[in-house]
Amino acid sequence: MTIVAQAVRRDIGLFEWLFDADTWTGGNGILAAAGDTVRLCAAVVVTATLLAVPLGALLAHLRRGELAATWVVNVGRAIPTFAVAGLLVPISLRWGLGFEPWPVFIALTLLSVPPIFLTTFTAVSQVDPVVVDAARGMGFDGRSVLLEVESALALRVIFTGVRVAAVQVVATEPIRAFLGGGGLGGYLRDGLGQNNDTLVLGGAILVAALAAVTGVAFGALERIVVPRGVRRLRHQGNRPGSSDRSSDRGEHGQASFQPAGEGAVDPDGGLRLVGGGMR
Amino acid sequence: MLAEATNPIIRWEYLVDEWDRIETALVQHIQLVVLGVGLGLVVASVLAATALRFRWTTAPITTFTAFLYTIPSVALFGLLVPYTGVSTTTAVIPLVGYTLLVLVSSILAGFRSVPASVRDAAEGMGLSPARRMLTVELPLALPFIVTGIRVATVTTVGLVTVAAIIGEGGLGRLILDGLRRTFLTPMTVGASLSIMLALILDLALWSVGRALTPWTRHGRRARR
Repeated sequence: MTIVAQAVRRDIGLFEWLFDADTWTGGNGILAAAGDTVRLCAAVVVTATLLAVPLGALLAHLRRGELAATWVVNVGRAIPTFAVAGLLVPISLRWGLGFEPWPVFIALTLLSVPPIFLTTFTAVSQVDPVVVDAARGMGFDGRSVLLEVESALALRVIFTGVRVAAVQVVATEPIRAFLGGGGLGGYLRDGLGQNNDTLVLGGAILVAALAAVTGVAFGALERIVVPRGVRRLRHQGNRPGSSDRSSDRGEHGQASFQPAGEGAVDPDGGLRLVGGGMR
Repeated sequence: MLAEATNPIIRWEYLVDEWDRIETALVQHIQLVVLGVGLGLVVASVLAATALRFRWTTAPITTFTAFLYTIPSVALFGLLVPYTGVSTTTAVIPLVGYTLLVLVSSILAGFRSVPASVRDAAEGMGLSPARRMLTVELPLALPFIVTGIRVATVTTVGLVTVAAIIGEGGLGRLILDGLRRTFLTPMTVGASLSIMLALILDLALWSVGRALTPWTRHGRRARR
């Protein structure tokens, strides 16, 4: 491992450390580390979205793949990200790809695909059939129905899925520092290694803050991305979904998924997304 | 470049030679999971009971558990080290905290799924509130609660590996140990075993849930 440990005095105070300009700038600074983290997380979320949204939307449009969706959730939530990354490191080293970023990138992508896939699948399959029929009556073909009607109406819920996934990814990414990589987790690693409480606390605060900022940023982004008309549907309590499906909503305002077959018996309701792996 | 012959992805002799270490790690892993989910269930039951009894507490309790869940695990383990040291306590507190959101919401969902007519009928039969809770409502809520426990358990198995960064963490320690020495076998063993442990525990709890609630197996296709 070629990671340079942070050279920080042990007796430095938390505020002194956090408010020192040198802490933030330079090759070992917080800004560089945070940039490293954000770049990897962005790549992960974009990859996962590109994989999960088209697949989820298409399967829901074709009214197929409910079994696949159930499978994705059940397996997805059972995957311990740290272990998967740990398992991929030997393979990556064997192939001469080094410690990072591939193992963590793949593990984080596996972590973020299930929530995005599920929200997309649920949102598109819950679009009111009356609306779809009306679109067809107006001469929309299947492709246009999917792209211009179903996807548009499902956009807000899909976006929620992406946000949940993004926050999870940012919160989990620090494991990378413990697997021979860089990023914000490095402060925690060095702090624990050097028995330096200031670095540990400071690192923990930075990681938590970045996760919180990610959540807020996505909230703001949602206002820009989601068309005003679709947003208004929510404010009127007039969700785009047929009434008999409305009980499928999760408790936390996230979409949840109940497969038709087992779903009527399976009480997973609002839980499945919440438990999507670990941070 | 590592030589294939000296450092394969898995060296099978390791399983035999170092079995004691693997076993210790596995046992510690299971202990931490049981401790985390067990204590989590106790705390969650109290919180859920409070939320059911005093409705106005539902929102604060849900918000609080959701807030706990959003704290990155690496950060939470780190935050506690200066206060509780490198100890089992430091590992268990976050584990308990992370189970609460899932457990509280599953208990609440379970009890709220009991139809009012069933509750009325039980009351009409003269059951005391405590008996009604234990013999009528709890069994009906059980499928939800078991699902919550399953999710919490699987999540905790994953989180315990992360606890390795503070020197606890069962199988996670094998992963870290392998990393430090660039010795691939412990990493492979630790990671595979924790993935298997998650799947096995999930399956085991699913079976327990099925055995406890035989009436959910057929019929009940109608929506709630």
